[in-house]
Amino acid sequence: MVEKLTVNAVLRPVAFSLSDVAVSYTRGQTTTTPLANFSVHIGDGEITCLLGPSGCGKTTLLKALGGFVPAVSGSIDFGGRQIQSPIPDVVMIFQDHNLFPWLTVRQNVAFGLRYARKSGASQPMSVDHMLELISLTDSASLYPHQLSGGMRQRAAIARALVIRPKVLLLDEPFSALDAGLRRRMQHLLRDVWASTKTTMVMVTHNIEEAILVGHRVIVLGNRPTSILLDVATADKNFDDRYSSAFLGLQRQIEAMIE
Amino acid sequence: MLLILWEYFGSIDGSALSAVIPPPSRVFTVLVQSGFRVGLGSQAASLPTSIASTFFRVFCGMALAFVAAIGTGAVMSLIPFVRWMTAPVLYLLAPIAPIAWIPTALVIFGVSNLTAIFIVFMGVYFILTLATLAEISRVPEEFMIIARNLGGRGVGCWFRVMLPAITPGVFMLLRTNFIAAWMAVLVAEMVGLNDGLGAIIMMGRNLFNSDLIMLGMITIGLSGFIVDRILLLIGTRLIWWRN
Repeated sequence: MVEKLTVNAVLRPVAFSLSDVAVSYTRGQTTTTPLANFSVHIGDGEITCLLGPSGCGKTTLLKALGGFVPAVSGSIDFGGRQIQSPIPDVVMIFQDHNLFPWLTVRQNVAFGLRYARKSGASQPMSVDHMLELISLTDSASLYPHQLSGGMRQRAAIARALVIRPKVLLLDEPFSALDAGLRRRMQHLLRDVWASTKTTMVMVTHNIEEAILVGHRVIVLGNRPTSILLDVATADKNFDDRYSSAFLGLQRQIEAMIE
Repeated sequence: MLLILWEYFGSIDGSALSAVIPPPSRVFTVLVQSGFRVGLGSQAASLPTSIASTFFRVFCGMALAFVAAIGTGAVMSLIPFVRWMTAPVLYLLAPIAPIAWIPTALVIFGVSNLTAIFIVFMGVYFILTLATLAEISRVPEEFMIIARNLGGRGVGCWFRVMLPAITPGVFMLLRTNFIAAWMAVLVAEMVGLNDGLGAIIMMGRNLFNSDLIMLGMITIGLSGFIVDRILLLIGTRLIWWRN
């Protein structure tokens, strides 16, 4: 974990090391391989955003990192462990919030705590602290259907983060939200990162979002999945969406994807 | 409106209709005069007792079927081998009308509450088990994925996630199938058991007493309505998070 590698523009400790990973699905007689011979290192404690055209394998990559789809070949190394199935250290947030409708916000957020305490892993956060961090203290006793879209997605993030996973995987978490709310959620995610320093890998279609939220943006090319661009965006220049660096990069990525 | 029409047609002297359908005024007078007791001599049972015994049978049968169906559905969904073994049996037994079980039940359990409960159980169990399986397959896949991802394992996790997710749907189907259970128990009471609401109708038939038949029918209709309301109430409690 502490070993420093200068790979793919990362100069940080590594959370995930993928080498020659292939993932394939079999449906009936046909087998598709969305990911083949793919290698990448994901930095520890930073937000990596994955961009790319539809069907380029970015969601598959995310699922492979979480162990939701097993790699048929190659290795996914996570701090010395091989990822083969989902583990509480790597938690995924889906496009749809998927809160449990029969539980209140507080109960939803507390869902994983029972298991986290049992396994005695890293010290979980208190539910109150988490609700405060995600600005949901006042809505703690409401049920998911009483919340707005943004609040639901926030609650889902809180439910994932409260058990203090080492990695948070986000699959287009804000795609269902309107532009204004989306921006607020992007800031919130950065704020949450600032106070937890959780490694995050986010798949998004929104180039601006990727540059703004991510410390590193990886642009994936179509099948076979390859890395077209790998750029560090932690620089202050990329915090202002109207700066020339920001707009330049945005234009460059747009040209690649289209 | 219905009551007025009934009273009117029932009171026409000498008409055939008034012999078969006595007007409400006469039915209720008979009921009050007999001190809310129905039947002859020592076999007479009070109307509330009849209602209570029918209710008891229906509720016991439905509650048992509800629990058993969810249990069976759970085991079938968790263990593919069990599913493979039991699914054909389930589809084979499901179409058998609950009243078809009456002779068998009478032989096994004799003339007792158990017979009626068994018949109600048979009337709803299979359909509820199939409903449970359908509900389980309708639960978003992500629920269990997320629960496992957050550390949930095994049966405990199933109870925390799958059970609350499927219960409202299965219960709603129980409510729709209540009519089948209700009819099954009435028929059981008509042909085998000596008490209950079904028995009142049979007694009226045997005594050529149309007042009694009418009384039985009214009570059955009203009781059925009340049970449906009770089930609705329980149903809304079960999906408390939507209120």
